Amino acid sequence: MIEVEHLKKEFRKVVKEPGLKGSVKSLFKPKYETVAAVDDISFHVPKGEILGFIGPNGAGKSTVIKMLTGILTPTSGSCTINGKDPAADRKRYVKEIGVVFGQRTQLWWDLPLRETYGVLKEVYSVPDEKYQKRMELLNEVLELDDFIGSPVRTLSLGQRMRADIAASLLHSPKVLFLDEPTIGLDVVVKNNIRNAIMEINRTEKTTVILTTHDISDIELLCSRIVMVDKGHKVYDGSLDALKSKYGIMRELVFQPEIAENFSEKDFIGGLKLGGEDLTVGHENGKWRVRFNSEKIPVKDMLSYTLSHIEAKDISMREADVEEIIRRLYKEGVGV
Amino acid sequence: MNKFFRLYMPFTRAGIQSTLMYSINIIFFSLSELLYCFVMYYVWLAVFDASDGQNFMGFDMQDMVLYLFMTNVTAYLTMSQADSAIAEEIKDGSIAMRLLKPVDYHISILFKDIANPIILFFMVFLPMTVCVEIYRGVTAGMIMFQPLNCLLYLLSGIIAYLVSFYLNMCFGFLAFYVTNLWGVSMFKKILLKFLSGAAIPLAFMPAALKNILAFLPFSSLSYTPVMIYMGKYTGAELLLNVGLQVFWLIALIVLCKLIWNRAIRRLCVQGG
Ligand SMILES: Nc1ncnc2c1ncn2[C@@H]1O[C@H](COP(=O)(O)OP(=O)(O)OP(=O)(O)O)[C@@H](O)[C@H]1O
Ligand SMILES: [Mg+2]
Repeated sequence: MIEVEHLKKEFRKVVKEPGLKGSVKSLFKPKYETVAAVDDISFHVPKGEILGFIGPNGAGKSTVIKMLTGILTPTSGSCTINGKDPAADRKRYVKEIGVVFGQRTQLWWDLPLRETYGVLKEVYSVPDEKYQKRMELLNEVLELDDFIGSPVRTLSLGQRMRADIAASLLHSPKVLFLDEPTIGLDVVVKNNIRNAIMEINRTEKTTVILTTHDISDIELLCSRIVMVDKGHKVYDGSLDALKSKYGIMRELVFQPEIAENFSEKDFIGGLKLGGEDLTVGHENGKWRVRFNSEKIPVKDMLSYTLSHIEAKDISMREADVEEIIRRLYKEGVGV
Repeated sequence: MNKFFRLYMPFTRAGIQSTLMYSINIIFFSLSELLYCFVMYYVWLAVFDASDGQNFMGFDMQDMVLYLFMTNVTAYLTMSQADSAIAEEIKDGSIAMRLLKPVDYHISILFKDIANPIILFFMVFLPMTVCVEIYRGVTAGMIMFQPLNCLLYLLSGIIAYLVSFYLNMCFGFLAFYVTNLWGVSMFKKILLKFLSGAAIPLAFMPAALKNILAFLPFSSLSYTPVMIYMGKYTGAELLLNVGLQVFWLIALIVLCKLIWNRAIRRLCVQGG
């Protein structure tokens, strides 16, 4: 369905020395520097999969999406979607895809929302009857009714995002690209949008690629994730595999019997661990100790704690995905 | 053909709706153009008085009034905002949204841009022409309006608009290379006013300059249609000049496609 091979994109940037002098200098003799925003990324996505594309800020996610949707030409490498080359075959290719860039809208700014859909209906030549059905469905899932008569520029962010997602689905695309579809939304709207994505994926076998910084999007939607960092692919696999591979952080929570008797320094001192492997925090009299279970096994940690302090309410927790990803972003991973 | 219009008409409809939403802009812009016409009117009145002849290089004062008002209306009507539209879209990255639709880039911009002349035709051209014709009729003491010339003028005017559109498209593609077009754009506007004969009729210029300017695409923008309206071009001369307009239109379409095919590969969609 989607084949990405050795995709690479380089940007040429003008390097400007600081200050006025630098500005003047670069006006007459600009110095260029080439940076690879995306470097040798390959992956395949089968039909009907929801792929989560994650990575820290500036990793190159949006750049990949732009190349996959045909609005940016790769420096080298190729991507083929449904057997089509996005940049070369643009006009025919975009009929088969739906795209939402969370930070911008594809709706006509000045038109009432309903008319934007009317325009899109013509642009994608959707037959009347199909259009009716489609609008009913989208209306139901995304609850567009409240604002469908208002001009797009008066919509709130959450309303606009729902409207944008509906617009990208109007022509029943085979592939849906979503670049941060839940950015800046409240819990209810997020849920709304996730449901829409799941519904469409389930009933129409739509392939979805989405980028996000919200880990619950990933947990709820994606069967597979690809993680990129500084333009390179650093992880490709299921979320469960990621958990078992990197889920080595555990969290120990306890409440000392007598708070005054507990000394953080002594407690940590006995463990001989530091940095990312051990972090301690406390609130409301509760202490949270995050530790690397590879460096110190859970069993040992427990017996150490029990022998050192008198505590009530001792509990042990697995690190959640957020924790894992935070760690991966921070340290980088070699795959 | 039907399908073609069904596909692109929405762009015009959307264009008209958004333009009308800011119709106060049109009114003030039109008023400033009108004011400019009156200033020029008094300038030329002084010129005619000073040269104390009824006739100045084949134009009498009545011709001059007609020329002045018709050229400015025509230039205003055929003025395309394609360049600033492109530049804006490239700068804020919204060009991406247009490229993600299964439509031809140029044609979708054309059909949006065309909203402007359509609105101006009703809001400016019709009332202005009626006023000018009344003035002509009153000063000459008879009806001077020539329906055939007017029809030919409209035809030539449509070509003029298309020439203007593609000229502005080519110019707008500069935005792929220069991030901010504003300064260049101001310069272009003034230069066009001179080169197209909107400031001073080409007929008043030295022969050599006049011949060069008459051949260049700029005279197609407003000079040719206005000369047709005034009945200064007839027969072979008329055919020749309209032919020249068509020639430039085709040349500019080809040029525009060439630039586009090169520029699109350089496109950096900003943001995200
Ligand atoms: N037009 C451009 N010119 C120069 N550099 C660019 C351009 N567009 C992107 N970059 C660089 O490419 C890198 C990747 O950017 P990209 O927008 O793909 O990141 P991202 O993964 O989407 O990040 P975020 O999560 O913050 O949205 C960044 O370092 C950015 O500075
Ligand atoms: Mg991004």
